[in-house]
Amino acid sequence: MQTLIEPRDERTQPARIVPGYPQTPLRNPREPLVRRRPTLSELTGPLEVARRVKLLGGDIAGRGKKQAIGQLIHLRVRVLDEDGTPVGGTVVEMWQANAAGRYIHPNDDDHAPPDPNFYGAARLVTDENGLFELRTVKPGAYPVPTRDGWWRPPHVHFSVFGKVWLSRLVTQMYFPGEPLNAQDRILNAVPDPAARERLVAQLVPPSGKPHDALAYEHRIVLRGRAQTPVQR
Amino acid sequence: MNPTAEATLGPFFPPRYVDAGANDLTRFGRRRAKGEAIEIRGRVRQEDGAGLDNLMLEIWQADAQGIFRHPADPRSARADPGFLGWGRTVTDARGNYVLRTIRPGAPEGRAPHINFMVMYSGLMRILKTTMYFTNDVDAVLSAVPASRRGLLVARKQGSDRYRFDIRLRGENETPFFDD
Repeated sequence: MQTLIEPRDERTQPARIVPGYPQTPLRNPREPLVRRRPTLSELTGPLEVARRVKLLGGDIAGRGKKQAIGQLIHLRVRVLDEDGTPVGGTVVEMWQANAAGRYIHPNDDDHAPPDPNFYGAARLVTDENGLFELRTVKPGAYPVPTRDGWWRPPHVHFSVFGKVWLSRLVTQMYFPGEPLNAQDRILNAVPDPAARERLVAQLVPPSGKPHDALAYEHRIVLRGRAQTPVQR
Repeated sequence: MNPTAEATLGPFFPPRYVDAGANDLTRFGRRRAKGEAIEIRGRVRQEDGAGLDNLMLEIWQADAQGIFRHPADPRSARADPGFLGWGRTVTDARGNYVLRTIRPGAPEGRAPHINFMVMYSGLMRILKTTMYFTNDVDAVLSAVPASRRGLLVARKQGSDRYRFDIRLRGENETPFFDD
């Protein structure tokens, strides 16, 4: 199976240099990016990452005495390609802050407490319908150390591989109705409002029993379209 | 459908994100890759020259015969079963990284090369570049202005060691690709 990769609409992707995000002007290239025609090297990619990394299950909220503090949520995420075809069997990595807005990472400072029952990361494989599900707690907002009052809204990080090198995606998912969404410099670096809206999960009626978790659905679209090989 | 917008990896991806051994491509499962094992070291720096800590690099490459382990490669049935071609590493406090892999063969129509991806706090989009072993004719390298091509050629440092420094911005800025 071959994959066709087309250029993206730039308005649907974030600016590289973001006002008020002081690291961005130091780290993003000054020289124009070089256009290249994709070859086999970019139109192939690792399909067996799951054999190379340790998978961590999608239930990261814990149970009973080991349950993490916070609002329990169920996240149902579907991974598709640009034609809407499910991308099954691909590795997805997620990580997030705890309910107080603190990451497990040693570089995160002491503005909020760690939760001994919350590691805050999962790594799983999409099913044949491109679906994966997570049981976690809603992440808290947290301040960015910029001195001017920028707070990140609650969000979840995703890293997805897809079928080819150029379909690799690192993105973030947001929650609906959060007042901080309108001011977030990372979310609002995407110029197109509709593209920003697609980064926000949808609250859906809870399914399953017990009804102990809020349910959200989200969609991640990877670059690429499946292409039937041309007979020569 | 439009592809989902990218976002920065951020500084707080989990500590166990880079599994032990993920930077060693010379083994896959219980097998050992065929070909010449090499070590690639380098330093990743930003505009002011500071080395960048906790930065993620991923690579993708063909095996020693120049075959990609992927069905789109017409030769994939003969791919080395001991070689996945993918690995990941994270920089240390000074911005240094190390990868162990095998020297790739030439894929059809291309010079031997290794694809690199840079993911980092403050990078709103993944940066993609390509490392070469020689400044020979190559379809992707020839898209780079001639004066900058040398920046994509790793420096040989001993029989099986190469150095590939990555400058995200500034003097000797690494060429990155817009795909």
